[in-house]
Amino acid sequence: MGQSAHRPVGRLSEVADYDIVIVGAGPVGAILARVLGSAAVGSEPLRILVLEAGPAVGRTWSDYQANVDHYLGSSIKVPNAPWVSSAYAPSPDVLDVRPLTPDSIPDDNGYFVQYGPLPFESDYVRAQGGTMLHWLATSLRMVPNDFEIRSRYGHGLDWPVSYDELQPYYERAEWELGVSANVEDQEYLGITFRDGYHFPMSRIPLSYLDEHVAGTVDGLTVTLDGEATELLVSSTPQARNSTPNPGYRPIGAHGAEHMGLRCEGNSSCIPICPVQAKYSPLKTWGLVSRHVEVRTQCVVSKVIYAGSAPDAPVAALEYYSYTDGLPPPATPERVTADIYVLAGNAIENPKLLLASEPTPNDNIGRHLMDHPYVLSWALMPENIGAYRGPSSTSGIEVLRDGAFRKDRAAFRMEVVNWGWDFITNSPFSDLESAVDKGLYGAELRAEIADRVPRQFRFGFLYEQLPDPGNRVFLNNGYVDALGIPRPCIAYDVDDYVRKGMVASQGLSESLFAALGATEYTRYSDSKPGYVTYDGWPFNFVGAGHLAGTHCMGTKRSNSAVDSFQRSWEHENLYLIGCGSMPTVSTSNPSLTMAALAFRSAEAILDDLGVR
Amino acid sequence: MKTRRSFVALSSALTGFREVDLWGTGQADSYLGELIATVGEDVVARLLAAGDDLASGDPAEALGRLLRDDELGPVAKNVVVLWYTGAWRPLPNEWRSRFGASPLDVGRVISPSSYRSGLVWKAIGAHPQGANGPGFASWASPPTVPSAG
Repeated sequence: MGQSAHRPVGRLSEVADYDIVIVGAGPVGAILARVLGSAAVGSEPLRILVLEAGPAVGRTWSDYQANVDHYLGSSIKVPNAPWVSSAYAPSPDVLDVRPLTPDSIPDDNGYFVQYGPLPFESDYVRAQGGTMLHWLATSLRMVPNDFEIRSRYGHGLDWPVSYDELQPYYERAEWELGVSANVEDQEYLGITFRDGYHFPMSRIPLSYLDEHVAGTVDGLTVTLDGEATELLVSSTPQARNSTPNPGYRPIGAHGAEHMGLRCEGNSSCIPICPVQAKYSPLKTWGLVSRHVEVRTQCVVSKVIYAGSAPDAPVAALEYYSYTDGLPPPATPERVTADIYVLAGNAIENPKLLLASEPTPNDNIGRHLMDHPYVLSWALMPENIGAYRGPSSTSGIEVLRDGAFRKDRAAFRMEVVNWGWDFITNSPFSDLESAVDKGLYGAELRAEIADRVPRQFRFGFLYEQLPDPGNRVFLNNGYVDALGIPRPCIAYDVDDYVRKGMVASQGLSESLFAALGATEYTRYSDSKPGYVTYDGWPFNFVGAGHLAGTHCMGTKRSNSAVDSFQRSWEHENLYLIGCGSMPTVSTSNPSLTMAALAFRSAEAILDDLGVR
Repeated sequence: MKTRRSFVALSSALTGFREVDLWGTGQADSYLGELIATVGEDVVARLLAAGDDLASGDPAEALGRLLRDDELGPVAKNVVVLWYTGAWRPLPNEWRSRFGASPLDVGRVISPSSYRSGLVWKAIGAHPQGANGPGFASWASPPTVPSAG
């Protein structure tokens, strides 16, 4: 990274236990371990330790199948259903979320302490592999204007990197994750590709539903907020195995390399792909050098600085090494390194810094963002093959940017292949209602066969702007089983997003009408994520796209980290992950997070003088 | 043996799936065992006796009567749900207060294998989410729903 003005840290001393300590064995930890683990000083590999709060996952094929069975046997198949969290490293669960009222705040049901006014509804997984164990694998690039929201639309903060600067890292991320897409489908709203570039695999075939929707919707012109847009249903880039392009060999399951070489259509990407055709960080972990030491069930509790000056370097990390089923460890251990990387998510990274003295940069914990996710659902006039294939294989992307972003949130729209599953607990709820109506035998079968395969839905993900009031903070009155403060969260969804919801509602209604579909959308004021705008009601849930709590920027006064995700204050500390995103825009953030991680890995090697 | 056959015969009439399809799931013993453990042998005996009556007389009339029966109707409906979803759902509160609440009468998936065997997926021309993946690009092909019988 020639443009890095930062002084190389170098190997401070041979006294440090490690060259690099990484906190978190999720997607970012895996990418860093892969890149840094293959670097060497002379003939010596870098000494790298990774501390993971949760358990190891999927070390073998049969180990992973136990997670699959755990999911299949769960009554409520939420994203965390397959993944068992430890009492000493609890994970938030969507089942913990309840409607908030002034009297119920703070609501400490579960791991989060919710201060509202709206509940933060996303979850995550604390385990090796992290939350990308249960991601959908949508791998969209951000559009170029997303990097310049302040300049173009007057909100938030511009990114300190541009689309063009990030482009080569997007390529590395797409090849690491194994993204299936065709370049010609992805060139919209200014997104460009290097001449001759191809994704590692060709696109995942569109579903029968996608083709049906595209047949009606492609070429329709909609006018939203005075802007006319010609609609196009686009194939979604997905990190799941498809037909490989030259130069790429699909990566199968961890511990069973011949399994999962193609997506087999198990239709459970969230929360678990039973054959591992979907990328998870377990695949990257399988390629990490054996010199990298990974210790699971080690919860980092504090960052220890070398003195009390606000810009003191990090001197050590304090962590608890626990064993499930045994009493909690009485005292923490310490580890030292030349470079420290916090590679947790946008809640765990700030949580750790806020638990440490001195008090960090005021941006730490602020600007918590997600994609509030609203669904609308309907029945097609005929069977469109619901409940087949990956959750979503196409979407409408052309509404993700425009002058309207001065006034209201942009959104992307998913076409969803899984009927009404988690909205109404279909197909089980359909079956139960039919049975309760007194249907049985052939009539029952006919009723189910007629109704359920016609179900479909649209999902809308809205950009949420950075708001300093949406934040993670600590209250020592709420601690976990190790005595570590739990994340307290203040969260709201502002009118910018709500206006986006109104725009999408209009779009949804007109598309249902064009498709001849009968809408069944019902929003309820008894749901946790209930909001209104201008009399329009909505239910939103979290998308699991936590971002923004240690934003990157051009200077210390507007951000927590620089464009390499290096702390402004502490020269040997990196905060890497979606928390660095100054704005979340509309693309599912994992691909961008991975691209940024590759870029930071190079900066770390520069710091150590080994590149 | 008679009990198992009676259970599957009644289940076939209730679910609209052939007996051979039900035997083929491998779940019959497990479901019957769960049913007996949850509502007791006496209730199951009365349910199966009602089922045995189907052979004589008008089956539709007998099934309608069974499903409307205060005690046996909700149990019969739960048997249908069990076969279609692989999960037990709690009996209605009214049933529990009149006929006795069982500590086992809680919502639960019987086993990963029962979930995979749920008939609802077959009825809609799909496969259980998370299992029996029909293969690459299967989702692109026109959907079909298998005919009953």
